[in-house]
Amino acid sequence: MSYLGVFLTFARNSLIRDMTFRANFLIEFISSTAWMLMNLGFYALVYRYTGNIAGWSKYEFFVFISTTMFVNSLVQAFFMPNAQELSEMVRTGGLDFALLKPIDTQFLVSLHRVNWSSLGNFVIACLLLGYALPRIEGYQLSPLAVVLYPLFVVAGVLILYSVMIALAATSIWLGRNQSLYDFWFYITNFSRYPMEIYDGAYGLPLRWAFTFIVPILVVINVPAGIMAKPILADNPYGPWLAVFAVAATVGSLAFSRWVFQRALASYRSASS
Amino acid sequence: MSAIQIRNLQKSYRVYQKKEGLAASLAGLFRREYRTVEAVKGIDLDVEGGEFVAFLGPNGAGKTTTLKLLSGVISPTGGEATVLGHVPWRRENDYRRRFALVMGQKNQLWWDLPAQESFKLHQKIYRIDPADFARTRDELCELLDITRLLQQPVRELSLGERMKMELTAALLHSPDVLFLDEPTIGLDVVAQHNIQKFLKHYQEIRGITILLTSHYMKDVAALCKRVVVIARGEIIYDGSLSGIVDAFSGHKVLSVQFAGERMPGDLARYGEVLEEVAPKAKLRVDRTAIAKVLSSVLAEHAVEDVSVEDPPLEEVIAEMFARNQATEVADAAAKPVAAPPAT
Repeated sequence: MSYLGVFLTFARNSLIRDMTFRANFLIEFISSTAWMLMNLGFYALVYRYTGNIAGWSKYEFFVFISTTMFVNSLVQAFFMPNAQELSEMVRTGGLDFALLKPIDTQFLVSLHRVNWSSLGNFVIACLLLGYALPRIEGYQLSPLAVVLYPLFVVAGVLILYSVMIALAATSIWLGRNQSLYDFWFYITNFSRYPMEIYDGAYGLPLRWAFTFIVPILVVINVPAGIMAKPILADNPYGPWLAVFAVAATVGSLAFSRWVFQRALASYRSASS
Repeated sequence: MSAIQIRNLQKSYRVYQKKEGLAASLAGLFRREYRTVEAVKGIDLDVEGGEFVAFLGPNGAGKTTTLKLLSGVISPTGGEATVLGHVPWRRENDYRRRFALVMGQKNQLWWDLPAQESFKLHQKIYRIDPADFARTRDELCELLDITRLLQQPVRELSLGERMKMELTAALLHSPDVLFLDEPTIGLDVVAQHNIQKFLKHYQEIRGITILLTSHYMKDVAALCKRVVVIARGEIIYDGSLSGIVDAFSGHKVLSVQFAGERMPGDLARYGEVLEEVAPKAKLRVDRTAIAKVLSSVLAEHAVEDVSVEDPPLEEVIAEMFARNQATEVADAAAKPVAAPPAT
């Protein structure tokens, strides 16, 4: 419970800080929302030329997009500013202070800042989901989907977090390492599309790698599938994919923890 | 058992030897040469509970590295240390709740927020009882005279005010051991004095163990009875501050005021002439010869006033560091030279 108290204080202090810089907060809020809306407009345009992409109809895909927005806004609000800062903390020796605190260092480093303005997209995602679901042909909302959807969104957030913190932690070994962290943006790009599009001689290896090696394809696909398509009923692989997503979440977290601990053990600190 | 026990503690780093020029930099992409830097070379030290000990030494001597090892920020390459019975680099929460590290060159408070928000965060992280927290905070703020600044964002505070806030944050959980790494660096004389006064008072009433590194001799003279001098990763002196002069200074300063206007012309035969403004002169005289020189000066000249003093502490220490650096060069060239005597 004390960890929750610490986290709430982080969240509170971050909000006070964000409110001090009101204009900055508003600009961030507006620009990230505008970016998501432009993305949405782009897919609306694409669907003027086709009825479905890899088995996803327009409104099903809108559910997919809103899932992407949920996951991304959560990652951006809670983890991204911290992972970004880690490499700087290593370079300047600021990590010293984190190591002195009688609290889990990974928890402290991963959550000490909350970027509240990123939650704007969370609200947009709610609206988009509410708009798209009733427009899917013959859609019936199942109670199971209502329960599982948020759980798998959180699982997806945790997978992306694990990849992010593991990449950011390498800066502890390498002294300074913004580029490996940037790599996160390259690979997580792949998670933003339905896994069905990764097909054929070039697509299948990608699908395989991004499912079983770096499991980022299950991040959006599993919750979006649960919500938009009766993944558990129709698709014979559906339930297994969901089970796999749970295993992938646990595995990713364990792996990132291992990397983080190993990195901390060899921390050199900056000279002062 | 001592509060701090250090046995043969070592820390070495492997650093990349960067060469000059673009071609060499490109070659460095493929083949790198590394050099091992021994920051701490087998230190032994015992500090009793309640002691206030100063670490002196030139830049790069290993003072900060030692403090970081004792704080568990970094792990050693060899040797052992325990602080309050804990091995620091195991980073146990039980240990981390009992000490604090303050670094004059770095700040840990949230830059854009008033310090009191950072204090509340410390309360949560250290699990400080709310009543204890309020009492300790008020007490510290009153002692340091910063109560009126609690609402102000840290970035708007002066360096001295910020250091007081840093100290408060570090002491909120009432640590038993405090590591201070140059806490008065960059501060003006008044701010330095205030911090010294506070540390002295706090240490006296709480009886906590403090290790301090500083380049300001005033800090050390005001606060610490015991001084440990580190150079090149080794302890070369451990004793009182005044003892440094006896151990490391080979000379005394003889000041003479001659009677009348005429100055003797051959002062140099007594020792090196430091200053000569008639009718006064200052001479640097070998410590072993001081009695002899003094009696001949008095016998051979009409003298109005005379005094024999130790050279200023700063000078002795600068000389000692310089000598140590010279030894380093000699070391590299020839066989090891015996270390200066320790008391």
